[in-house]
Amino acid sequence: MQNAVMATLKVEKHYRMGEQVLKALKGVSVSIGQGDFVAVMGPSGSGKSTFMNMLGCLDSPSSGQILLKGTDVTRMSAAELATVRNRHIGFVFQQFNLLPRTTALDNVMLPLLYTAMPRAQARERAQHCLELVGLGKRLDHHPSQLSGGQQQRVAIARALVNEPDIILADEPTGALDTETGLEIMALFQQLHQQGKTLVLVTHEPDIAAFASRQLVFRDGLLLTDRQSSPLDAQQALADFRQHRLAEALK
Amino acid sequence: MNSLMLLNVAWVALRVNLLRSILTMLGIIIGVAAVIIMLALGSGARYEVDQQIKNLGGNVFIVFSRMRFMGGAQQGGTGQSLTEMDALAIENQIPQVTVAAPMVQSSGQVIYGNLNWAPSILGVDNKIYQAQSWSLAEGRTFTETELSSAGRVAVIGQTVKRELFGASDPLGQTVRINKVPVTIIGVLNGKGQNTQGNDQDDIVFMPIDTVRKRISGITLSSPKAVRSIVVQVASDRDMPLVEQELDALLRQRLRTTANDPPFRIRNLSEMVETRAQTMQIFNGLLAAVASVSLLVGGIGIMNIMLVSVTERTREIGLRMAVGARPADILRQFLIEAVLLCALGGALGLTLALGTTWAVEHFLGYTAIIEPQVVLMSIGFSALIGVFFGYYPARKASRLQPIEALRYE
Repeated sequence: MQNAVMATLKVEKHYRMGEQVLKALKGVSVSIGQGDFVAVMGPSGSGKSTFMNMLGCLDSPSSGQILLKGTDVTRMSAAELATVRNRHIGFVFQQFNLLPRTTALDNVMLPLLYTAMPRAQARERAQHCLELVGLGKRLDHHPSQLSGGQQQRVAIARALVNEPDIILADEPTGALDTETGLEIMALFQQLHQQGKTLVLVTHEPDIAAFASRQLVFRDGLLLTDRQSSPLDAQQALADFRQHRLAEALK
Repeated sequence: MNSLMLLNVAWVALRVNLLRSILTMLGIIIGVAAVIIMLALGSGARYEVDQQIKNLGGNVFIVFSRMRFMGGAQQGGTGQSLTEMDALAIENQIPQVTVAAPMVQSSGQVIYGNLNWAPSILGVDNKIYQAQSWSLAEGRTFTETELSSAGRVAVIGQTVKRELFGASDPLGQTVRINKVPVTIIGVLNGKGQNTQGNDQDDIVFMPIDTVRKRISGITLSSPKAVRSIVVQVASDRDMPLVEQELDALLRQRLRTTANDPPFRIRNLSEMVETRAQTMQIFNGLLAAVASVSLLVGGIGIMNIMLVSVTERTREIGLRMAVGARPADILRQFLIEAVLLCALGGALGLTLALGTTWAVEHFLGYTAIIEPQVVLMSIGFSALIGVFFGYYPARKASRLQPIEALRYE
């Protein structure tokens, strides 16, 4: 608990739907350590998305505590939460959520624009992050000029640019084909090996297998929390390509 | 995020929807242009009035003689109450008066060759030049002898010169005025029309005695009787004081305490001012109508900003997720609205400049755009941006990040 990057303590979340109260989370306590690569799984309505919103400081719990490096963020104002997200959390979304008609570089710079960092330095950082995800030659491309996989790479670069303590990815491969999805997972594994803390939500067990820890949610409760040795995404990608080549030759 | 970056973000957002932005601005453009044009025409009219007042000779009273009534009967056509001595007394006894010029008036035919013309014929002395700001285009004023001996000489206005002499030189020519041969010794510089549209140049000046004895042919109650006295006051500030003093002095000299004394003091600049004020009220009314257009423009801005906030809900969600505080979002949309309005204001100003130029050149109105009006109109349109942009911007800043991110 002490070394946890993020921890939830008996977190509950209730939504009022007219007369009824919907309990999306019914007391979840999880600790995510430095360098973890966690896959959050579960059917829709299991509470995994709500849990992710809690981790991302996008929503506050009805009861319980959320600790970011030991600091309780539960009672913070909207402005304070914005600063926490800006400094400590990187987001990757299923639909990429890049600004249209804005270059890859400017998209990646966006989080830095809400800090006091000088523009030149922000530019340099953003460029570095784009090189890291293999898009060093696409700095001036607009999202519409990039493939889905490339757009998700831009989004990942954007999540990295603030050097966050934790990166949260919500179905990052959901809008991508299998091969591109594997490429993205290989990139995540690479980041994990560099020591990043990653949490990704997915409903595909194949994707969750690339993480070293799986959390399974059901009916607002944490059902299982298990460690496993992850599959190698790079290897899976190679196998996939081999297989496809064999199919094509048949 | 600093303001310069926000400005850039706003600029990009406006450019993306170029046509929509321009249509939205149209209300502001028209409103600002209308307000500026109205104010410019108002200033122009004001300027023209000031010019006319200057033409009148600045701070001038005209004291008119009125007929004396005695026992209910008018004392013939000779009952003019004021005399040249009154004029002298006014000039000498009221220190704020610079000059008091006596005047008699007659009508008559001026005949030159086979042409004839009927201008105003005024009997004056040389003080009239100062009192009414006349100057000579050519020739000379009356000599002392001509004034004291009812000399048969005249100074004519530009209209009279044009009608009787055309392009030829009138100096030294003899005309007949009411059958009296008179020599032209001078020509006045033109003044044009006065505010009532009367031609001020359609006049003939003659020595006051000449008109009294030779032209009008009316026996006067006093040999020195005058129809009016033009009184010039040194300073605008002294006008109310001098009006009181004039009244007191003339009542004393004419030995009257009547409510309705046999003279009337009129203030020409006041008359012009009254007209000017009417015009200003009219212009103010038009400017008010024009500002309604600004209001409507502002509502258009609010409408489009609300559309813009809805359209960009996901963008707002994303910005919030990566660290934009509610205040950052508020500023972003506020700046966009202000930019929209300020650009509209600038375009409106351009339109106003073009229109006033056209009005001046093709319609002959005087229009003056004062610098503070320019600053005010741009500032005011920016203010409209803040006012009408605030609600949409606040709405944007209050969005919940998760809901905004999920918005389809």
